Amino acid sequence: MPSPNHQEPAARYMDNVAIALSVLYQFGTNGAFLLLSALGLIVILGMMNIINLAHGELMMMGAYVATTAVQRGVPFPLAVLVAFIAIAIFGAIFERLVVRRFYGRELGALVVTWGISLILSQGSLLVFGPFMPSIQIPGGSISVGLYSFSEYWLALITVAIVVVFGLWWLYNHTTFGLQARATMQNAAMARALGVNTDRVYMLTFSLGAGLAGFSGALLAPTTSIMPFMGQQFVAPAFITVVVGGATNVITGALGSSILLSLVRTPIGFLFGSFLGLVALLLAALIIIRLMPDGISAWLQRYLDRWSRIRISA
Amino acid sequence: MSRLWKLLSGPEDIGQSAWFWVGFAALIIFFLYYPAVITEFEASSISYYLLNIPLALGLCLLWGYAGVLSFGQVAYFGIAGYVYGVVAGNMIGNPWGPLVGSIAGLTASAIIAAIFGYFVFYARVQMWIAPILTLVFTLLLETFLGQTAGYQWRIGSVQLGGYNGMTGIPSFQLGKLVFFGYSFYYYVLIVVLICFLACRMLVSSRHGHVLLAIREDPVRTELFGYDIRARQLVIFVIAAVLAGISGLLYVQWGNYITPTQVGLLQAALPVIWVAVGGRDSLIAVAITTYLLNWLTYALSSAGNQYALVIIGALLVCVMLFFPKGIIVTLARELPRRGWRSAFTER
Amino acid sequence: MAEILATEALAKRFGGVIATDNVTLKVMPGELRCIIGPNGAGKSTLFALLCGIHRPDAGRVLLKGQDVTFLPAFRRVRLGVGLTFQNNRAYHHLTVRQNLEAPLRPDRHDQPKDAHERFLYALKLFGLDPMSDLPARELPHDQLQWLEIAMVLAGGPDLLLLDEPTAGLSPDETLKTARVLRHLNEAGLTIVVVEHDIAFVREVARKVTVLHQGRVFAEGTVTEITAHDDVRKIYLGRA
Repeated sequence: MPSPNHQEPAARYMDNVAIALSVLYQFGTNGAFLLLSALGLIVILGMMNIINLAHGELMMMGAYVATTAVQRGVPFPLAVLVAFIAIAIFGAIFERLVVRRFYGRELGALVVTWGISLILSQGSLLVFGPFMPSIQIPGGSISVGLYSFSEYWLALITVAIVVVFGLWWLYNHTTFGLQARATMQNAAMARALGVNTDRVYMLTFSLGAGLAGFSGALLAPTTSIMPFMGQQFVAPAFITVVVGGATNVITGALGSSILLSLVRTPIGFLFGSFLGLVALLLAALIIIRLMPDGISAWLQRYLDRWSRIRISA
Repeated sequence: MSRLWKLLSGPEDIGQSAWFWVGFAALIIFFLYYPAVITEFEASSISYYLLNIPLALGLCLLWGYAGVLSFGQVAYFGIAGYVYGVVAGNMIGNPWGPLVGSIAGLTASAIIAAIFGYFVFYARVQMWIAPILTLVFTLLLETFLGQTAGYQWRIGSVQLGGYNGMTGIPSFQLGKLVFFGYSFYYYVLIVVLICFLACRMLVSSRHGHVLLAIREDPVRTELFGYDIRARQLVIFVIAAVLAGISGLLYVQWGNYITPTQVGLLQAALPVIWVAVGGRDSLIAVAITTYLLNWLTYALSSAGNQYALVIIGALLVCVMLFFPKGIIVTLARELPRRGWRSAFTER
Repeated sequence: MAEILATEALAKRFGGVIATDNVTLKVMPGELRCIIGPNGAGKSTLFALLCGIHRPDAGRVLLKGQDVTFLPAFRRVRLGVGLTFQNNRAYHHLTVRQNLEAPLRPDRHDQPKDAHERFLYALKLFGLDPMSDLPARELPHDQLQWLEIAMVLAGGPDLLLLDEPTAGLSPDETLKTARVLRHLNEAGLTIVVVEHDIAFVREVARKVTVLHQGRVFAEGTVTEITAHDDVRKIYLGRA
């Protein structure tokens, strides 16, 4: 193998490009993983102030639905859509029966969703057994230099960004989004203005659940399918949400996944994936010490300063 | 003497009259004489139901009295257990090794809780962040311990053992006296009793009153001049030490520990015991912990795989229909507030 | 150093709104001062600055001669200040007894010797039972307001800062509050009240500070202030 000193300048340039791309790729996949894991959670937290501890199980159910669909011959993209719809429906039922009794009781919601997560994961174990054969990662891989990049992960990065922008558009440019924001700020007032807040809550929770199932289905090919698979997403999802803050969950989640990915990528690369996760937790602890209301609050303050209203005294 | 009575029978927990203490004494006497009529194995099982009580009491103090929900109490259970295993395991042959190990285990739990708690409480974060961060911490701990298989993961002569856990942990002993079987039963009973009475005295003391105020309105309490972050940190460390006591008793009971003891399922259990009994009352939590542990054991030994699903369903039902906990609702809310409002949260 | 509470050129703005503008105040020990002004005059902001809930953009706050401008609220309380708020902040879900037990702070060494007597006296005048097991939220509104004042007195403060303590009280209850505060003041407690209700102010105050648009508009006795043409104008909105 030619020693680096004897390489052509062009080849060395390509090598550096490949390394840079690889780092960028790692950063992107870590960020996409965090964003996708947190997706359903941020909708429910941001809009309803409910911490859904069954989030991991919703993702697990999405993965199971998609995997089962693919096994029955359904094409993968359609299977993901089926997962989204199925878990969204489950979420709506769940909201009607259980969650709506806990509005205003944050800690109670935490505990009851944890009970549900226990039932779902244990129940899954009893019904499906400990393992299910997983799906192959769709698509091939692209090679640059010595590194290969999975086309699927590149697609996931794109999907994550597109979905977040879709959410932003939904909440800022549609009637539903307007009603949802009104309900979140002042439910009584929204009702007085004719908004069906019950329906808004149900649809929001349903959307959040559906997104969790959607993410679970998307991430299913990248991991093994087991009843407790939701667990691997819980820690990253919650850390992302905690760092993002509840002031503006969408910008918070975006900012948070970027920031945390900046931390996790180098550490995971140098010291392995577990220490990358530890670094996430440590970063989260330090960040909340500095910005107790999360990144979104800090960003909001800067946005506010840009749009100062002058009122003459 | 009357001050002691006031501390033990303050209105902050159920059971203030002399009759309560008569009943309590009768219960203790029953437990003291029971081993005479049961096998050593049965006594050992009862020891297991009892040893989880300090863990639950710690969470009760934290959640019910101070208003801080921690999902990760089991982390301190595990830390104490593992540290004891390492220290006592390296001192096998030394009759005071287990005592040193116990002190080491509790100190480790306390220090780690203090550091973690500093970040959580001094950051003045929103209420829902503490439960999540404590949960994440315990999950990470489980992952870490799970990948400690392999010979290089040993401290002194003790292997951490990865997912198979640490075995051969020495039983507790003081000098020549080794606690095993019946003697272990009495040891657990006394330790649990001391923990319970100490907690009762704490909640009726001035510090307990301030905790209630912090729970109700932290800002107002701060504006009476109290340093609420410090007080929350202290109660968090106390709860961690109580969890550590349960952890110590556990490894001294079974002589082994695995990472599942700090995992997601185990973490759910103390929350369930406290929620089902009633987080406002130490005695309710103690009783429920014993009964639920007995129930889980009875269910799983009868071959029932649905044990955890049933327990999860129990939690959901209690949160929906008995928000203040079953025992607290029946023993305190019903007599005080009648059928209408006994079953609401506030 | 004679003042127990003083501000120097205090200023605070929120975005483009000037809430407090060059406010200089001096309260002597033993005074009973009322701070009044129409809505939007900046009374609440000034109160928050005195408590330590907000930090000023300029100026200083001095408590017993000590510069406390950047001292957080709970440390100011430890210097001997009692605070009550516009929205009643007693512990609604705790019993009356628990409410009164919470704020006792026996560890302040420079507590006035008769602090405990003042506390018991207030309890008696307000008609509150310190052993009551009634949840605070079941108290009538006036007793709830008085409960918060009593709780604050339990801490043995030298200075009481009250933000609209008569909000929601009937004229009789307002008068009763005024009388109790006057008795406490005569017993040596310095009291500064932010208020709206002119009847209360007349009953209670010896010195009044009027705020308008964040600035100190006028200062004087009650008679002087109520006779002041300009003060009447700002209340009627013509200044």
